[in-house]
Amino acid sequence: MTTLLICLPLAAALIVWVLPLNPVSAGSLSLLAALAEVGVWIQLLVRYDFAQGGLQFSEQHTWINDLGVSYHVGVYGFSVWLIGLTVIVMAAAIAYAFWAGRERARAYMGLMLFLTGAIVGVFVAQDLLLFYAFFEAMLIPLYILVGVWGGPGRLGATLKFVLYTMAGSLLMLAAIIVYGLSEGTFDLVAIGPSSSQWIFLGFVAAFAIKAPLFPLHGWLPDAYRESSPEVAAVLSGVVSKAAAYGFLRIAVTKFPQPTHDFRAPILALAATGLIYGSLLAFRAPDLRGVVAYSSLAQMGLITMGVFAVNDLGLDGSVLQMVNHGLVSATLFLLAGMVERRTLTGELGRLGGMARGRPALATVLLTAGVIALAVPLSSAFAGEFLILAGIFQRGWGWAVAGAVAIVLAAMYVLRLVSAVLHRDVGPAVSDSALDLRPAELGVTVPLLACLLALSVWPAAITQHSFHDDHAADDVLTQFK
Amino acid sequence: MVWGAWICLLSPLAASCLITLGGTRVSRRTAGWLATSACFVAFAGAVASFVGLLTHSASDRQFISTAWTWISGGSYQSGLSVLIDPLSTFMMLVVAGVGALIVWYSIGYMDGDDEERRYFAYMALFVFSMLLLVQAGNLILLLAGWGMVGLSSYLLIGFWHQRPSAIAAAKKAFVMNAIGDATMALAFFLLIQQGNSLEFGVLGGEFSSTVANLVALGLLGGAVAKSAQIPLHTWLPDAMEGPTPVSALIHAATMVTAGVYLIVRTHAIFEQAPKVADLAAGLGAATLLVAGLIALVQVDIKRVIAYSTMSQIGYMFLGAGVGSYPNAMFHLMTHAFFKALLFMTAGIVIHALVDEQDIRKMGGLRQLAPKTYWAFLVGSLALVGIFPFAGFFSKDSILAAAMAKGGVYGYVLWGIGLAGTFLTGLYTFRLLFIVFWGEPSAFVREHFHPLGRDVVAFSLAIPVGVLGVLSVIGGWIQFSPWWHPVETWLRTVAEPIVSPSSSQEWTSIALSLLLGLTGIGVAWAVYGAHRVAVPRVVWAQRTLEHKFYFDEAYDALFYAPSVALAKFLRRGVEQPLIADSGRDLGDDTRDLGGLVARAQTGLVRTYALAIASSVAVLAIVFVIVK
Repeated sequence: MTTLLICLPLAAALIVWVLPLNPVSAGSLSLLAALAEVGVWIQLLVRYDFAQGGLQFSEQHTWINDLGVSYHVGVYGFSVWLIGLTVIVMAAAIAYAFWAGRERARAYMGLMLFLTGAIVGVFVAQDLLLFYAFFEAMLIPLYILVGVWGGPGRLGATLKFVLYTMAGSLLMLAAIIVYGLSEGTFDLVAIGPSSSQWIFLGFVAAFAIKAPLFPLHGWLPDAYRESSPEVAAVLSGVVSKAAAYGFLRIAVTKFPQPTHDFRAPILALAATGLIYGSLLAFRAPDLRGVVAYSSLAQMGLITMGVFAVNDLGLDGSVLQMVNHGLVSATLFLLAGMVERRTLTGELGRLGGMARGRPALATVLLTAGVIALAVPLSSAFAGEFLILAGIFQRGWGWAVAGAVAIVLAAMYVLRLVSAVLHRDVGPAVSDSALDLRPAELGVTVPLLACLLALSVWPAAITQHSFHDDHAADDVLTQFK
Repeated sequence: MVWGAWICLLSPLAASCLITLGGTRVSRRTAGWLATSACFVAFAGAVASFVGLLTHSASDRQFISTAWTWISGGSYQSGLSVLIDPLSTFMMLVVAGVGALIVWYSIGYMDGDDEERRYFAYMALFVFSMLLLVQAGNLILLLAGWGMVGLSSYLLIGFWHQRPSAIAAAKKAFVMNAIGDATMALAFFLLIQQGNSLEFGVLGGEFSSTVANLVALGLLGGAVAKSAQIPLHTWLPDAMEGPTPVSALIHAATMVTAGVYLIVRTHAIFEQAPKVADLAAGLGAATLLVAGLIALVQVDIKRVIAYSTMSQIGYMFLGAGVGSYPNAMFHLMTHAFFKALLFMTAGIVIHALVDEQDIRKMGGLRQLAPKTYWAFLVGSLALVGIFPFAGFFSKDSILAAAMAKGGVYGYVLWGIGLAGTFLTGLYTFRLLFIVFWGEPSAFVREHFHPLGRDVVAFSLAIPVGVLGVLSVIGGWIQFSPWWHPVETWLRTVAEPIVSPSSSQEWTSIALSLLLGLTGIGVAWAVYGAHRVAVPRVVWAQRTLEHKFYFDEAYDALFYAPSVALAKFLRRGVEQPLIADSGRDLGDDTRDLGGLVARAQTGLVRTYALAIASSVAVLAIVFVIVK
């Protein structure tokens, strides 16, 4: 089952690359594969025994025996949700790419499918080297997707992205090798905890770049701005969660002592990023800038939740990973849809789009109010738990979070108003249509997931860790 | 009973979803009737809950119905649950009842607007949110309702979204309320840390005085923001940009009084933090005075009523702060009747004068619209608290409670409250005399068009009539010196901690009646009879017209600095240090590439040296790490 989840999109990618299909059939085949992947995930969700918890659907095959390296995959409760996020967002992204019609469709679709497999691999790998392999495999298609299909500034954006992530990856590789050799195994389940601060920092640096955390986000604004909207959606929605997952699965779990020692500086960076990102989102001149910096802020918040290492914080951060993944993907896709109509994302040139476009207005408004975590939304539930958890590590962190709540209201409402309200902007022509059925078909399912989670956030918070005791789970290293 | 409560909560939500999803398949008129009937169904559900509670004995009137666990984190859990107890049913009746009437009125008021469907979807969403707030079975759901009413208020204030002023007002309201939400959330975090629960029961636990004070302060922050009390009041007058029925429903009858409900609901923690309770009463007193003064100089009909609302909620805060919870709730109810009535009659006036709101252009409407005049008169008398109208019964007992609290502070509060009744009489009848008395102004003669006898006129008139009747008789259910069923009903939930003596009651009644009538008399002398020349005090007038410079102060203290900080971060940090660092890094890599290329000499001895030194370095690293 787990291997199927990895291999299905990879095999589909191979087929799309190899067979001489025309763009339409390549797109349909890819979409079909992505939907089949969602189907497999639903099977996984139904068959995972949440009452028992722990590692399930695990498969292990020897790879390099001498070093204790193996192909070991499996899923935990929280991985189920992150895989779900991945397959749903990827399906939406592939559907949108298909509808929008990208050049060299076979290559593009193949890369998207390959990316899906790699990200799922990151979430299920239970061996450090395998984890690393998937982590790298996830980055390669992204380099190409940004660098070839991006906007006018794509080369600069790609260069920055490559340099930052390469630096992180190398640190992680070094950390993995030293850690694995010193413990005599690379198996994530079997490997014991370590108190080495250097190894810990190697992992943290890699994840902090990927998330990104302040001040390592230099690659973020350009990459999110220059890539096509669905790639930006995947980058901010899903790929950043691989980093948060790494914090949770490796950094705080395997390094309890260094986590404790470095908690204050890491929380300080996360909190700074939260406020800093929110302020910049409030001043960003374009649609994607707002969403990009709000992503920076949200990743800071999620990191705070993970590093609180208590039940509330961990539960909240898993929930918020899913929430933020869905909502930022929706917002990036919507930004793309607006840009298609107006040929610009500059807020100053937009406006008045609500009139005569009820579907766009409703969808954007709904996504926006969830993004600002209006109480009763699932994002509110996630933020609330995270901040309640971090409050117990020091009230000051929660106050920073509370300030960010207010700032989030300011930047989201600014975005919504700039697009929908007031006078019609110079870039908005009367012929700009309301959302088409296909666009609704891409965004509405994402929003439906968010609304369902708003009705029942405990679906995730009660079903992520064994017995809903996240801190114990981390303490015992998920055994 | 439990079913009644769930139907009450969910039927407006269902209407909102139906209208949204139906789109153009739902006709505009149908949307209106759908929302109205959903609110009446909600009212029926509230009545069912009320009757259900009546069948139980007084000590056994608390039921919680939980659908499922809404949120959890380790051992902390909160359910998606509704609470049915005397206080929540009281609020359900007020919210659903007044809400249904106002939504009905909207069918007439919004007739012909381009986006009626959106309007009714928002209105139904608001009624749902407000019911969630008052029915919530635990604090986190209360906060959920709290945020949702803020959201629907945002949507409705900014309903005419092509107006920049409406959008700005909507954002301001939302952000100010978000500040309140944030302080409440902080209080809840502290409660979770202390008691690991957000059930209402946890508030009655034993806390250190610091904790109790902090929790109470956090809750008070939320209450002050939502109820537009000083210092978080500046959003309410701007919120009058929304359609008038919205002002009647949200910014008079229901949402803005939520702060009072919150204090009464969480009174256990305020009783452990008496200083914070005093602060609540003090803020209420300050607001009632300041808002009453500002109302004297406003020239927009809706803004006068908005300041009057702030002022009246100040009375409720005063009552709740001194511990006279049932009286605060009673005033909340009567205020919902007469203030909704005033807003709705003002709406009819605005409607008849093609959307003009400036009272300087009005005058003489008594002759042209006598029924509207009578309705407005009833509302005004009830607001000032003249016997036998509703406000008379509810306001005076709050003053008596302040007296019963005693001490210097109690008497100061009492004195401010009495001064407030004078101001109320003055500003209310200033408005009435200017708008309705005298000869019709040129503007009125030119633009006035009477209502027809169609369905529009009826849906405007009938709710106004019902509220008019309620403004007359609604207060009679409790007359503190002699009978008090409201207090008896609420006693099990919110036992008052002050009990005024009969002499205190009668003193307050007599003085406030006298001062109210004096206010009316002065208003008549100045504006009704056009006889007295008012001395002009320029600085006082300017201060009042600038609303005591609160907006300017916030701008200078918070908004401008945060914008400046954001600009600085963007120009001074993000651009040079972070965005460009990547570019420099790129250039450096290219240079480094050149250097590395030069190292490829093709000489075996260089390579051998490189390999040997690398191995040596690796060996040293391994030794150190091991």
